[in-house]
Amino acid sequence: MALVQEQEIAGDGCVSETILELKEATIKFGGLTAVNKVSFVLNRGDLFGLIGPNGAGKTTCFNLITGVYRPTSGDIEFKGKVINGFAPNKIATLGICRTFQNIRLFGALSARENVMVGANLRSKTVMPSSFWLLPPVIRETDEMRAKAEHLLEVVGLKEDMSTRSADLSYGEQRRLEIARAMATDPELILLDEPAAGMNPLEKETLQKVVRRIRDEFSMTVLLIEHDMRFVMGLCERIVVLDHGEEIAQGPPESIRSNPKVIEAYLGEAATH
Amino acid sequence: MIGEWTPLIAGLEFSILPQQLANGILLGSIYALIALGYTMVYGVLRLINFAHGEVFMLGAYTALLVSWKLGFTQENVAQHPDINGSILTLVLLLFCSMAVCGIVGVVIELLAYRPMRNQPRIAALITAIGVSLFLQYSGQLFLPNSPPPSINQKVNPIQGATNIPLRKASAETLNNVSTTTAAYEAAKAAFDAQLPNEESRFQLSPTGQALKETMDEANRARTDAEATANSERVEIILPNGQIVMFFSAIALMVGLHFLVNHTKIGRGMRAASHDFDTASLMGINVNRIVTFTFFIGSALAGAGAMMNATFLGTPLTTFYGVVPGVKAFVAAVLGGIGNIRGALLGGLLMGLAEALVAWAGYANMRDAIAFLILIFVLLFKPGGLLGSAAVEKV
Amino acid sequence: MKFWGTRLGSIVLAVAGCYLLQTIFQGNPGMNRLVVLACLWVTLSVSLNLINGITGQFSIGHAGFWMTGAYISGVIMKFQPQLKSMPAMQLLLLMMLIAFIGTGIMGLLVGLPSLRLKGDYLAIVTLGFGEILRIVVNASEPIGGSYGLFVEPKVNSIFIAAMLAVITIAACRNLLQTAHGLEFLSVREDEVASQAMGVNNTTIKVVAFVIGAAFAGAAGAVFAHLEGFISPTSFPMAFSFIVLTMVVLGGTGSITGSVVAAIVLFAIPEYLRGMSVNGEPLRFTLAGFVAFAIAGIGALALAKYTQDRVHDSKGKLIRYIGAVVGAIVVTGVFAAIFRNIPALGGKEIGVDQIRYVIFSLVLIAVMLLRPQGVFGHHEFGWHWFKSKKSQETVA
Repeated sequence: MALVQEQEIAGDGCVSETILELKEATIKFGGLTAVNKVSFVLNRGDLFGLIGPNGAGKTTCFNLITGVYRPTSGDIEFKGKVINGFAPNKIATLGICRTFQNIRLFGALSARENVMVGANLRSKTVMPSSFWLLPPVIRETDEMRAKAEHLLEVVGLKEDMSTRSADLSYGEQRRLEIARAMATDPELILLDEPAAGMNPLEKETLQKVVRRIRDEFSMTVLLIEHDMRFVMGLCERIVVLDHGEEIAQGPPESIRSNPKVIEAYLGEAATH
Repeated sequence: MIGEWTPLIAGLEFSILPQQLANGILLGSIYALIALGYTMVYGVLRLINFAHGEVFMLGAYTALLVSWKLGFTQENVAQHPDINGSILTLVLLLFCSMAVCGIVGVVIELLAYRPMRNQPRIAALITAIGVSLFLQYSGQLFLPNSPPPSINQKVNPIQGATNIPLRKASAETLNNVSTTTAAYEAAKAAFDAQLPNEESRFQLSPTGQALKETMDEANRARTDAEATANSERVEIILPNGQIVMFFSAIALMVGLHFLVNHTKIGRGMRAASHDFDTASLMGINVNRIVTFTFFIGSALAGAGAMMNATFLGTPLTTFYGVVPGVKAFVAAVLGGIGNIRGALLGGLLMGLAEALVAWAGYANMRDAIAFLILIFVLLFKPGGLLGSAAVEKV
Repeated sequence: MKFWGTRLGSIVLAVAGCYLLQTIFQGNPGMNRLVVLACLWVTLSVSLNLINGITGQFSIGHAGFWMTGAYISGVIMKFQPQLKSMPAMQLLLLMMLIAFIGTGIMGLLVGLPSLRLKGDYLAIVTLGFGEILRIVVNASEPIGGSYGLFVEPKVNSIFIAAMLAVITIAACRNLLQTAHGLEFLSVREDEVASQAMGVNNTTIKVVAFVIGAAFAGAAGAVFAHLEGFISPTSFPMAFSFIVLTMVVLGGTGSITGSVVAAIVLFAIPEYLRGMSVNGEPLRFTLAGFVAFAIAGIGALALAKYTQDRVHDSKGKLIRYIGAVVGAIVVTGVFAAIFRNIPALGGKEIGVDQIRYVIFSLVLIAVMLLRPQGVFGHHEFGWHWFKSKKSQETVA
């Protein structure tokens, strides 16, 4: 009951402006078709879930969107503009940022510095001015530090700001990745299994953080997650992939009752 | 456009091209032997063994020192001109070089590389550079290097050369040669007959002077005819020792191929090169595999070094291994590092490339060509000719 | 206002410091040259650290850039002799500027294609570039070929060399004070992630490469005018390795570490060379060297074992001390024994001959015991004596 209510509230804030659209996106590695004609539409303000069994092509989808791979065929449109084959840094500049399934932090840097790397994307000063340490650069660096500290507070890492990121715990590292991605001021944020390896309590906190990302920072969220309870409780719309193909799409309850999904995924999970 | 290039092409002696190519292939077989060591170690450990060139250097020095012990020092050979090497001597030198190099390789791995196995690859690379520098410079303290000694050619019983004619001079030219030679000989005989009548060779009477001029004229004609014949005749002259070197190198490589593909330890090597950690989980003693890999790779370098030093007679310094080492590394990368057949292919191509550069008249650039090839391969086909480039998983 | 006060203050302090260095050593021609060389090594080591340590691109062709700078100024002086009429200091500054820009362009040309490679491949390609350069210069008759090139006039200025070192250090340190500097560090840490955060990896790498090369080139110009003669053999491959050793020993990414390591590694051989016993220059016997090598390897093995297997700090300390004391004792004992072996005891060796051996051993020892270098990624400063809490690069 509570679930339904929350969805309705979220639904109110939904403006039906398309932000990301996959049009039959396909990628082949040699003979293997990792993602086959996947299409879905993300509206601004969506909390969108991407699920599927292991090896379904979810992370590959993320890699397509963020420019790590170039689609073999099909198009990926961001705010109405085709972004196929753009370099990852270009895509980040356009306003899509991501976290990684296998955590990729800048290990030797502190948590705050990690976030500042993200924040630096929106830097207004040019790099050569930092060799002379001109006042605008110093001012900007101070601003970024403040922004980083604020974001770390949002994800609950205020105490560990100066800790080397490699020394953080697994759950903290996942949250730090989210803060780092948020620092680039993206319009669309992609979270790759943000809850993996977290205990139920941490997951609950994370759900709140993700909602806050959408509501307070007005970012659109696309997330991959294995934990059904987490996804069903959080996302308003879900796409299910299996063997690189899209098998279902819709709100959580329709996914839950979709026979194809049960066969491919939940059926398999139910036997556990 | 073509006009600008004509002098360049005109400067090329096409008649010596086959000879150069043959030299290139012979040299390439040695590069291939060294390249195998790089490739095998890289295949198993993903480590560029920078010190491999120095192992090669130590192999050459081993051959030198053993040959000295057998009495082939410069002084001893001068005193006893009848001293001569036999096939047995060569086998002994080869065996010693291979054994010493193999052991040195294993020791280097044990002391320097094994502790670095779980460190980042760059740390292992720096260690390898350190080992390489250490061997070069500490070798200077212990090994004879000034003046650079070389192995006495008396060690080598396989003397002589094989001549492979590819194209004979035309009948007309040959005819010309024999006519001019006959003419010259007649003129010479006439001059010689006149000589007793003269005061001396340098103060000739007018008759003698005329005869001498005829003879010189005939001589010039003969030389010209012979030069034409030489440029028309295309042949390859190969020292027999180098032919033996080539076939020994090929035999060693065939042996290695058998070892890797048809023995138990070879299967272990292939497994370790495919996935080191999984191989160790599957009960393969990876440490033994690594030791064995280093032993075989270094022993092959030792064989190459012994043959290079013995049959080519190059003077040795402790930097002897740097250039062949780099070229062999390039050969390994060119063929696809980690790939044994690639090392053979790369080695031969390297030798050929070098020969072509020398043939084109840029002999002083032959060391630069290796790096140029390397840069181009890495930029355009990083996996090499027979290898495949690894893709990082995101 | 406070900012400009600090800024002006530090500039005045740096200039005054360099001037002081000049006045102290000016009277002593031998020391003068050594101090200039030390400043050049500091410049080289810090500029290589920008590429290797801070940006994480493993380049080992730094001697090539040094040589480029030296030859740029040498060739200009050869073909534009009228420049000799300029006052020496202005001339040197002009040459440094031209060498800085010229070598920077060279760095761009080398860096653009080769920085697509990573790790060990990049190392080999940069090494190869240095070698190609040397071979080409060797074969180029118009610029002296293997015979070398006289560079006139000879200019010897501690002040300029020291200022070059200070500027190099300042540029790298300033960079790391800002968020832009973090981009360089992020490229070192994880290229995939940094690119996903919008960092243009290629730009960052090329910028680091160009700036590192340019400073090495400026140092080359100073070197050419200091020595008055350059040839391809003045810049052997081993120089690249010396700079590398300095960076690695100091700690990849630590500017202060590079500075300290450069000075120490430059000073030790010079100090040993200058040492004398009863008026005779100090010489070592091969016996002593072998004894030292054996003891050194033993001590290294013990230290490595201690680091890996011993976990209580007291036991660690005892073993480390034991390794050092043991090494000294073993060196003494073995040297005494080996002295009686004619092949070892009779052969004397000079400092120059064991210089590179010591460098290579330092390289191996650092990698085995402390791969991150003595200072690690950190800067050496007053906070070392206060608390160890501040671990951040950005203050």
